Amino acid sequence: MTLARPIMPPLPPRGRRWGILIGVAVVVVVIAYLAFSSVGGALVYYLTPTELLARGDAAIGETVRLGGLVKVGSIAGVAPDLTFVLTDGTSEMPVRSASAPTRSFREGIGAVVQGSLTASGVFEATEVIVKHDENYVAPSEGGLPTQGFDPGT
Amino acid sequence: MIATLGHVAVVIGLAASLYAAGAFVLGGRREDPAVLASARRATYAAFGLAALACLAMVVLLLTHDFSVAYVARNNATTTPPFYSVISLWAALEGSILFWTLLAAGWASLVLYRYRARLPALMPWVGAALALGIAFFFAVMAWAGDPFVRLTPIGAEGNGPNALLQNHPFMGLHPPLLYLGYTGMAVPFAFGMAALITRRTDEEWLAVVRRWTLVPWIFLTAGIVAGAWWSYAVLGWGGYWAWDPVENAALLPWLTATAFIHSSMVAERRGTLRTWTHALVIATFVLTLVGTFLTRSGVVNSVHSFTTSGIGAWFAIAILVTLTGALSLLLWRLPDLRDTRPPGAVISRESAFLFNNVLFLSITFAILFGTLYPMIVEATSGARASLGAPWFNLVNAPIFVALLFLAGVGPALPWGGASWATVRERFALPILAGVGVTVAAWALAVREPAPLGLLGLATFVLTVMGDEVLRGARARSRSRGEALPRAVVNLATRNRRRYGGYLAHAGICVMAIAIAFSATLASEAIATLRPGETMSIGAYTLTFDRLVTEPLADDRRVIETRAELTLAGPQSGPVATALRDYPSSSTAIATPSVRTGLGEDLYVTLLSYDPVGGSATLRVFVNPLVMWIWAGGLIVALGALFAIWPDRRRLTAGAPETTTGMA
Repeated sequence: MTLARPIMPPLPPRGRRWGILIGVAVVVVVIAYLAFSSVGGALVYYLTPTELLARGDAAIGETVRLGGLVKVGSIAGVAPDLTFVLTDGTSEMPVRSASAPTRSFREGIGAVVQGSLTASGVFEATEVIVKHDENYVAPSEGGLPTQGFDPGT
Repeated sequence: MIATLGHVAVVIGLAASLYAAGAFVLGGRREDPAVLASARRATYAAFGLAALACLAMVVLLLTHDFSVAYVARNNATTTPPFYSVISLWAALEGSILFWTLLAAGWASLVLYRYRARLPALMPWVGAALALGIAFFFAVMAWAGDPFVRLTPIGAEGNGPNALLQNHPFMGLHPPLLYLGYTGMAVPFAFGMAALITRRTDEEWLAVVRRWTLVPWIFLTAGIVAGAWWSYAVLGWGGYWAWDPVENAALLPWLTATAFIHSSMVAERRGTLRTWTHALVIATFVLTLVGTFLTRSGVVNSVHSFTTSGIGAWFAIAILVTLTGALSLLLWRLPDLRDTRPPGAVISRESAFLFNNVLFLSITFAILFGTLYPMIVEATSGARASLGAPWFNLVNAPIFVALLFLAGVGPALPWGGASWATVRERFALPILAGVGVTVAAWALAVREPAPLGLLGLATFVLTVMGDEVLRGARARSRSRGEALPRAVVNLATRNRRRYGGYLAHAGICVMAIAIAFSATLASEAIATLRPGETMSIGAYTLTFDRLVTEPLADDRRVIETRAELTLAGPQSGPVATALRDYPSSSTAIATPSVRTGLGEDLYVTLLSYDPVGGSATLRVFVNPLVMWIWAGGLIVALGALFAIWPDRRRLTAGAPETTTGMA
């Protein structure tokens, strides 16, 4: 057909199998290194304000997801200078958001923000995800791609 | 009444599929054609009963019969007929029912097609498929009955999940995906049958290859349609978020793709045989794992596990299938020894081998990334998630290496290649790749990812183009055919090879489009009052007014729409909305996507101020996105071309073994 069929090569020297095995091993090691060396840093922890504060200065600069209720009366300004306070009932965390949340964002609603704590004690959020309420059935039931969370922020 | 009918159909369907499984085993052992025929008929009956149950559910949904819990939760009197019908697969119980229908459909199709062929294999194939169907019927009978009644009966239902009634793609994407998922049971059944009967020969491989490609086409189309749906509905401007549910669909696709490649080596060179069997098993088990992940709620939190009975059923099914299939494989290892020595390091079979290593690496990386947050939560109690950056970092280099192999593999001869061949085959493609990269750089593309992938894809496309031309020229010389005629004849006589090339070309198109859209998209957010404008790139958007009104075909849905006027390379009115559904506290975005050959303009309404009439808009200019969908279509068409029945073979009455070079 299109390729001239090569003449069957002489029986492979023992080195041939080793050559391939070493190649495979190198590929696997490189990929495993890529995967495992970065996984610790890439893991985004989901914390409450109390848990975040308990980490002390170690928490500054670390990307985390912070979950809590939007404190009533705390919303001020608009993105990229939107500020509000997230509370878990015990501790409170002032948040400044660079991105606009969806319309359902309001006082008293559960929200998750992704970002990091700054040295000034304000949580700088890059993303605000409004939690779906109890009646909302999307995440596990439909079983359709991208329903695990609502990226529509 | 109709609900009772549906329930009875499920129970009889369970009995019929259990009978079929038993009769297949019995008939196979006794070699009794009458018993085998009755087993086949029982499978067809199970399919009919599943269809009856689905029909019953559709009628219940269309008539808004809220005495059935599933209907009350997923339907409302105002739900339009189209969304009532597709609510069949909009939630857990209904989708299992639909799933059963498809699984039984595949089983019936295969048993009918092979009713007079492969007499040694088919009883075991039938038994495995019937057991699978019985499992789904059993799940419905005990853990997730879709026809459970509700008392007291409400006057109005919840309506479908808001996200699922917002776009007609919901009618397309899940069925395609489910067809792919359920169809992977067929190669698995053939694999088990071959191991049991010790007929692990080339004939088996050809059949399994074909029956892996059929669901693979649906799976590919389903995944691409899912990405498209995500892009068109969710309003975040992207199409792939490495969400656990997306990953669940990708995992079996990856192992099935690895199988499609390794089976060619097994068939042609007699190596990688155990590996190829293992891939068939892995693909099927991963479809179960995917179902488990998406149906049990386990990916959202480890703790929701106990609340879902269906999760436990699938966990047991995975364990039983995996241990059973692997024991069988280990037991038959002596049958699966390589019949020939391995090829040289620089040879086509090595390219295939590395292709498989890479596919498996991606599979493990994605599986690991999907499960890692669960492991962390289970061991330390901390809740965490692994974001898209990690998946991109790990997977992007592997995908690039795979694309490279797609160019290298087809040009390398089996067995081994000399350096002279390597130089001869790759000099032109490398030059072409470098040339296109330099040209793109000159045209002001500065990001490394699109530049690199553009060059790599050109390399791959040139290798394939060169291959096609070489073959066509040789044919045209020897037979005196015109060159275009020779290309067509060559392709239709080597469908697998050239279908594969077409699929690779589609992957090249997708790779370029993904690289461009992922790195060169631009985004702007602005809050506008009526009359104000915003600009992004060469486009200017003028905000005209905010309109709030109920939706024409479902009055319970309130749509708030920002009407804009677009000027620039594309122009005209643009409307983007947020919809409030009674079943959802979150407003659902309805982005406006203006698709162009070069770029999409994507406008989404983030929020609005009903008092002042202002709107906060997020606008993306996404380059080349439509080529992701087009590339996906080319991939599916390539695979379809590869498996299209060869007329000459059929008229010759030859058995279904595939000839020609792979």
